[in-house]
Amino acid sequence: MTLLKLDNLKVHFPIRGGFFRRVVDHVKAVDGVSFELQQGETYGLVGESGSGKSTTGKAVVKLNEVTSGQILFEGRDLASLSRREIKPFRKDIQMIFQDPYSSLNPKKRVLDIIAEPLRNFERLSPSEEKKIVQDFLDKVGLSPESIHKYPHEFSGGQRQRIGIARSLTLKPKLIIADEPVSALDVSVQAQVLNFLQDLQQEFNLTYLFVGHDLGVIRHMCDRMGVMYRGRLVEEGKSEEIYENPQHIYTKRLIAAIPDLEPEVREDKVQLRKKLTSEYESTYSKYFDENGRAYDLKPISSTHRVALQ
Amino acid sequence: MKVETGKNIQVKDVSPSGIKIIWQEIKKDKLAMGSLIILAAILLFVYGASLFMDAKEIAKVDFLSIYMEPSSDYWLGTDYGGRDVFGQLIIGTRNSFTISLFITLFTAIIGLSLGLLAGYFGGATDNVIMRIIDFVIALPQLMFIIVVVTIVPIFNVYVFILIMTMFLWTGKARLIRSKALSERELDYIHASQTLGTPHWKIILFQLLPNVSSLIIVNFILNLAGNIGLESSLTFLGFGLPESTPSLGTLISYARNPDVLENKWWIWVPASLMILVLMLSINFVGQALKRAADARQRRG
Ligand SMILES: Nc1ncnc2c1ncn2[C@@H]1O[C@H](COP(=O)(O)OP(=O)(O)OP(=O)(O)O)[C@@H](O)[C@H]1O
Ligand SMILES: [Mg+2]
Repeated sequence: MTLLKLDNLKVHFPIRGGFFRRVVDHVKAVDGVSFELQQGETYGLVGESGSGKSTTGKAVVKLNEVTSGQILFEGRDLASLSRREIKPFRKDIQMIFQDPYSSLNPKKRVLDIIAEPLRNFERLSPSEEKKIVQDFLDKVGLSPESIHKYPHEFSGGQRQRIGIARSLTLKPKLIIADEPVSALDVSVQAQVLNFLQDLQQEFNLTYLFVGHDLGVIRHMCDRMGVMYRGRLVEEGKSEEIYENPQHIYTKRLIAAIPDLEPEVREDKVQLRKKLTSEYESTYSKYFDENGRAYDLKPISSTHRVALQ
Repeated sequence: MKVETGKNIQVKDVSPSGIKIIWQEIKKDKLAMGSLIILAAILLFVYGASLFMDAKEIAKVDFLSIYMEPSSDYWLGTDYGGRDVFGQLIIGTRNSFTISLFITLFTAIIGLSLGLLAGYFGGATDNVIMRIIDFVIALPQLMFIIVVVTIVPIFNVYVFILIMTMFLWTGKARLIRSKALSERELDYIHASQTLGTPHWKIILFQLLPNVSSLIIVNFILNLAGNIGLESSLTFLGFGLPESTPSLGTLISYARNPDVLENKWWIWVPASLMILVLMLSINFVGQALKRAADARQRRG
């Protein structure tokens, strides 16, 4: 079942300039992106910094204005709804933020942080509320006494767990995870990722997983889309993309993954050199005269690539 | 014994709240601590004593005791109308401080509301509010005050507070706006939005606590500034009339060269009072400023 479907989504930010701060141009942060998320799967969005991954995710939770296109959640177009109309959907779509330091209000206790969504949607007595919060703290592996502490008393990994607990309290169907581990120590990353996978099982969650680390995305995601300058350049099952990349940008992205084994390191250097020259000679096959990627074309039933 | 250790751990668990940090910072700073004590003593005395004083009695002209030197009857002598300077000093300090307090309070309320709205919503809201601020700043302030003083039939404390508030809220609004502008880009605000929290709740319960230290510090420093403001305007002749004694009224008697040279008891105590009030509020304010900025803290 299709849970979320983006159809030709565009998010353009105005650039203001000149004396009257008129709109002089637009940043096309997301410029015609279409993909679907099936119920229960994890879909990854990868791409370099500034490629529009976060903007796509934020558009789904209405943190950005959508310029055009549709965001269909269970068949309803979220892009056309006003802030008030969207409120019931807030329960179903939640977000985990990239930075565990700025995503928790430093002046609030953990209890107030995790209970905030509950207070918006449910009428609970303080003791019921406390019980639910403690249950979720338990689920994310934090001690029940944590509820009276402030965010600065926790480590980065623990804070991210608090953020995760907060996003779970309303029992959402879809969670947008915007680089949930990129601010964390490598040793903690795996822990949080596995934990997100466990939660997916338990709550039957669908993830839209944003990241720039292909290794992480491959580990987490069933399918993924590769973004470049606001456009999807390749989309398919994670293995397909990883083992058989078709777009030159995807190839270079995969080649850029650092390798720890010394034997293959030299090969990698060669591969990157080869890809650079391939990129230059075949540029027009992948990008039009404005440097914009072409629309996606299917090359198999699951694999789509932006080719001429 | 066991219970005690348990308690100690509990106390350590609780994060230092804003008030506690402020208190610790003041305790570390001898100057601020001394200032706080002096300030509290003066204010308690002044507000306490003025309860037992009859303002009308003090303002009554008595030609039999003009320009008397300090004595046991008149602790600080009398002025040209034979009015007790000590009594005027008490009532005047109370008036001046109350005026400053209310101006600071009202400007804080206006500045805070508009600053938060402009900063949180940005865009068109911000634009409108900033243009209003620009307009108010562009008005010739002193000229406006002079005009109001001359045309208003009864010029009293309330009118004074009102017109000063009209001009002085802009700085606060700008300060709060710029802080709110940077706060709203932080993910905790975004998180609240995606959690379905309405705008007004985000502004009051998420944003406001994070600009509060800025407000407190600014409030205290403004309080000191506004005491001086009232006095200087009165001195220039655009402040309160003699019937409402203020520190400014007492000091403005020194415009008369004879008073300035020979009748020190009329204007020196009031000048000292202003100096002491402003300095001590400022010292406390500086300590608060450090408390608000973790990098500058001493404790
Ligand atoms: N509020 C905004 N106003 C103007 N431009 C914006 C805004 N938000 C994002 N952009 C621009 O949109 C582009 C895409 O940004 P986005 O945050 O989506 O990138 P990203 O793929 O998430 O990168 P990263 O990996 O660094 O997080 C960038 O060029 C950015 O400068
Ligand atoms: Mg991002």
